[in-house]
Amino acid sequence: MTTSTSSQSLWQRVTAPLSSGPIAYGFLALYVLACSILLVTNPRTELSTDVVFVLFLLSMLVAYRSRVAAWFKVVLGVFALGVVLPYFGTLNPFYIDVATQAGIFTALALGLNVVVGFAGLLDLGYVAFFAVGAYAWGIFSTPQITEINPAWSPVDPVMFYPFLIIGLILGLITGVLLGLPVLRLRGDYLAIVTLGFGEVIRVVANNLDRPINITNGSQGIRAIERPPLIIVDQIRNLGIVADDNRLYQLFFYYLVLIIVLLTVIVVARLKHSRIGRAWEAIREDEVAAVAQGIPRVRMKLLAFAIGASFAGVMGVVFASKQLFINPPTFDLLRSINILAMVILGGMGSIPGAMLGAIIVTMLDLQILPRIAAVLREAQAAGAPIPRQFDPTQYQRLLFGLLLVVMMIFRPEGLWPDERRREEQHEVEITDEELEADKTAKQAGADSGS
Amino acid sequence: MALLEATNITKIFGGLVAVNDVTFTVEPGSIVSVIGPNGAGKTTFFNVLTGIYKPDKGRVVFAGKDITGWRSDQIAALGMRRTFQNIRLFGNMTVLENVLIGMHVHLHASIWSIIFRGRTMLREEAKARNKALELLSFVGIADKRDELAKNLPYGDQRRLEIARAMAGDPKIILLDEPTAGMNPHETAEATQLIRRLRDERGITVILIEHDMRLVMSISERISVLDYGSKIAEGDVQAIRTNPRVIEAYLGKGAAGHAA
Amino acid sequence: MAVDATVAPTTARRSLGEVLGVVFGPVGQLLAFIVGSAASLSLIVVVLALILSSAQPDIMQRVVIILPQVIIDGLVRGFLFATIALGYTMVYGVLEFINFAHGEIFMIGGVVGATVSFLLVSAGALESIPPLVFILLVVLVAMAFCGMLAVTVERVAYRPLRGAPRLVPLISAIGMSLILQDLARLVMTNTPLGFNARYQTPNFGQPIQLFTMQIGERSVPVILSPRDLIFIVAATIMLVVLNYVVNATKLGKAIRATAQDMPTASLMGIDVNRIIALTFLIGGALGGAAGALFGLRIGTVNPYMGLIPGLKAFTAAVLGGIGNITGAMVGGVVLGFLEAFVAAYLSIFTAGNFSGAAYADVAAFSILILLLIFRPSGLLGEATTQKV
Repeated sequence: MTTSTSSQSLWQRVTAPLSSGPIAYGFLALYVLACSILLVTNPRTELSTDVVFVLFLLSMLVAYRSRVAAWFKVVLGVFALGVVLPYFGTLNPFYIDVATQAGIFTALALGLNVVVGFAGLLDLGYVAFFAVGAYAWGIFSTPQITEINPAWSPVDPVMFYPFLIIGLILGLITGVLLGLPVLRLRGDYLAIVTLGFGEVIRVVANNLDRPINITNGSQGIRAIERPPLIIVDQIRNLGIVADDNRLYQLFFYYLVLIIVLLTVIVVARLKHSRIGRAWEAIREDEVAAVAQGIPRVRMKLLAFAIGASFAGVMGVVFASKQLFINPPTFDLLRSINILAMVILGGMGSIPGAMLGAIIVTMLDLQILPRIAAVLREAQAAGAPIPRQFDPTQYQRLLFGLLLVVMMIFRPEGLWPDERRREEQHEVEITDEELEADKTAKQAGADSGS
Repeated sequence: MALLEATNITKIFGGLVAVNDVTFTVEPGSIVSVIGPNGAGKTTFFNVLTGIYKPDKGRVVFAGKDITGWRSDQIAALGMRRTFQNIRLFGNMTVLENVLIGMHVHLHASIWSIIFRGRTMLREEAKARNKALELLSFVGIADKRDELAKNLPYGDQRRLEIARAMAGDPKIILLDEPTAGMNPHETAEATQLIRRLRDERGITVILIEHDMRLVMSISERISVLDYGSKIAEGDVQAIRTNPRVIEAYLGKGAAGHAA
Repeated sequence: MAVDATVAPTTARRSLGEVLGVVFGPVGQLLAFIVGSAASLSLIVVVLALILSSAQPDIMQRVVIILPQVIIDGLVRGFLFATIALGYTMVYGVLEFINFAHGEIFMIGGVVGATVSFLLVSAGALESIPPLVFILLVVLVAMAFCGMLAVTVERVAYRPLRGAPRLVPLISAIGMSLILQDLARLVMTNTPLGFNARYQTPNFGQPIQLFTMQIGERSVPVILSPRDLIFIVAATIMLVVLNYVVNATKLGKAIRATAQDMPTASLMGIDVNRIIALTFLIGGALGGAAGALFGLRIGTVNPYMGLIPGLKAFTAAVLGGIGNITGAMVGGVVLGFLEAFVAAYLSIFTAGNFSGAAYADVAAFSILILLLIFRPSGLLGEATTQKV
């Protein structure tokens, strides 16, 4: 006990001056700058770069938590995410791809967090709404549309921008259509029904190549259009040599960054409004919430629809970025993946969902392949590792462990919502007390007999 | 005209008749009590009035509207609020937020004005906060506004529940055993608060209570339920001497004894 | 301990007739539902065929030829869902918790069965043992393994979370399900079993020809494969035994008491933790047996084969009224028949435009969704009112 408190105070003694006051400004500036320089001067794909990349992203977290002026945080953020990272991306496209992917999943995690974290509705078919957006753009931007009706032809790629809104509306409509019947259900039934719905959407996508070919079945849709790059000539005029693919990477990075920013603002404002309070009340005690005049089903529907609409928008972006979609892209594992992000970060916590999304994406794209490479080397050196074992293929195991371990040891997540954290610890304490009571009783009974 | 008129209310669970043909009228501005032994159907009756249960028979008219079969939240929005026998606060929200939740039906900021931080929304929030603070000081816990509701002492939780009910500007508040588990001092304070609800705010109060001293001191009319049926109704004096009431509470024989 | 399986002589014994009534009453109910759903679904397809026969003259013949086979298929699917659904419903009855990992217990039952058969093959003993002994061996080993596994899963991933908000153990169960899938894959791909493990069996003999149908000129034999027969017989035996255990023994009474009211049961001297472990043991053993028999019937097993049958079995449990043991069996057979009919007839009735096999899953989940909306208490469940 005493050692832990003293180490705690040591930690605080070190971090306190670094997180507030003039030292903090210097420290943060130095930290971000150092990471930036290390990144830009070391653009190869290797372990040391990975470490610096993580430290670089961590700097954003540290800055967010520090007690410095808001303008300073904004300046740091714009510098790091708006300038350094994209520039680094032109040197090493792998990392900008990781960042874009992480951004897409951050927006998805934020959307699911509205449903699971704010309103307390466990949605295991979230990826269905993502699929709706992705298929909408996939079908309408490619000759696939001609398969549905020979008289129709693909829309102009510039329609990508209005399709972001259309994706949002489609997600919203699907969310309402599914939500209307099922949101009266109790929580655990809801989880299973949404899971079933996710599977239905996937099966339907897999089989709707007959009688009319709408989704092209298991073949998926290829050659999905990207929007035209509007300012590409101006950039080339500046003397920057960049091929289309590089530019598209940058384009999608910035696009995703903007969408994530908007998502964070919307979600945060909702959370601290009458709507967010109503969600929280329903999560805490439905009967009491309804007795305050809160329309239960309507509020749940709103949460469901808002979460779904974020997924719809991201679906359009995802389809366009990946150029190819097929039904397995939207399987149950993907839904679980996003759920794991929310739970890892902390249900109901906005920074938590973002942190979770970044960690899980990096785990998927960087850390697991890295471990796989290490294992292969060890194998070549003669270590007794089975040949077929490839850690990148064992995401289920990883996410499964993550869910179980988080539920048992830290149900409030890595970066809990301030109030939620207390709630969960309360449960823990009472459980311990119960356990203690029980053993005491047991002891009494034993001595008695 | 009566504020609340429940006619021939019957509620059956399986084979058990929990509320049997109860007719019950409340005049605006009055304090009315519903008493009866444990299991007499008082809370079930409240649940029917507030829309948590649908009555199998009968009609509820409130503020001139037939609310039979309405959903709970619609009834609450119309101005009937309640507290719960086993306190149901939003334990992990702050005291102030609990009261703000009670105000939900009076906040109209659209989703767009929330997202864009519209002026009306900001003004509405500020007003709501002020009003919530005023209610908290009315019940006497304004200094605890930022504590989590579950960390409040028992008596303060009861007060907060009343403040939350008041937040909806109700015409009527149903209090389900508001002094259960309180010591005499706390009960006296609670009695005071209930009286002020009516006297200072003009809110009509219906009370379920076991504490007879409280009931007798505060009520203008009393209804007595036993085995789901209304066995008596009247002012304090009439109930005090009603032989059927004494029988229900003390058993057969006691009635003759007391008389 | 209050839950010793031995019945003390002082306790009032029930008469044999009573016990038989308790045990076979539900079986009778089950039989009624089997006959009822088979008959009504057959009627529906025949009527549909009549309506469509003007457009497609041969449709009636095509429908009727496969009908007996579809009914057998429905029965097999039904018993499969019923045996898995029992595991869901028993756990739900006691803990009010959806044991999401139960589908994976079923899958591991299949893998264990395949492993046993693989070991026998490598020992060169497969052909020399009698088929009945082989079946007993794989089923019992799978039951033992899966029962223990289910108890372990409960101990590790669910018990620490008892009393936590509802969604917490559910999320843990989802995690456990993923873990079991990949652990099975890890083991299978790194042993000679492989991802799609062959499930070799001794020769069970020729298909049994039940009878021949005369349709116009053609005579169509109605065939029951020995594997289907094994599945139906074994499942029936398990259901009867389970009914006996739950309804006619002291252990069963303790389980029912715990399901009714856990704190009170514990006050009556029932060791609730032990009863919960036993519930998982029985449910897991049934799931394991179902897996072993299922694998034996289809010939291969893989680590991802548990999810969809698991979900459908959950649907069956809800269909019958979750928490209700007879309900789970009834729900299982009703769902099994529905699915078999959709799988067989959808493409016939839509002129091949919709593949029945693919949309059978959609049909099952649509039933689940409709059911939960309109009759969440299921076919045999009672409506419950939320306490305030």
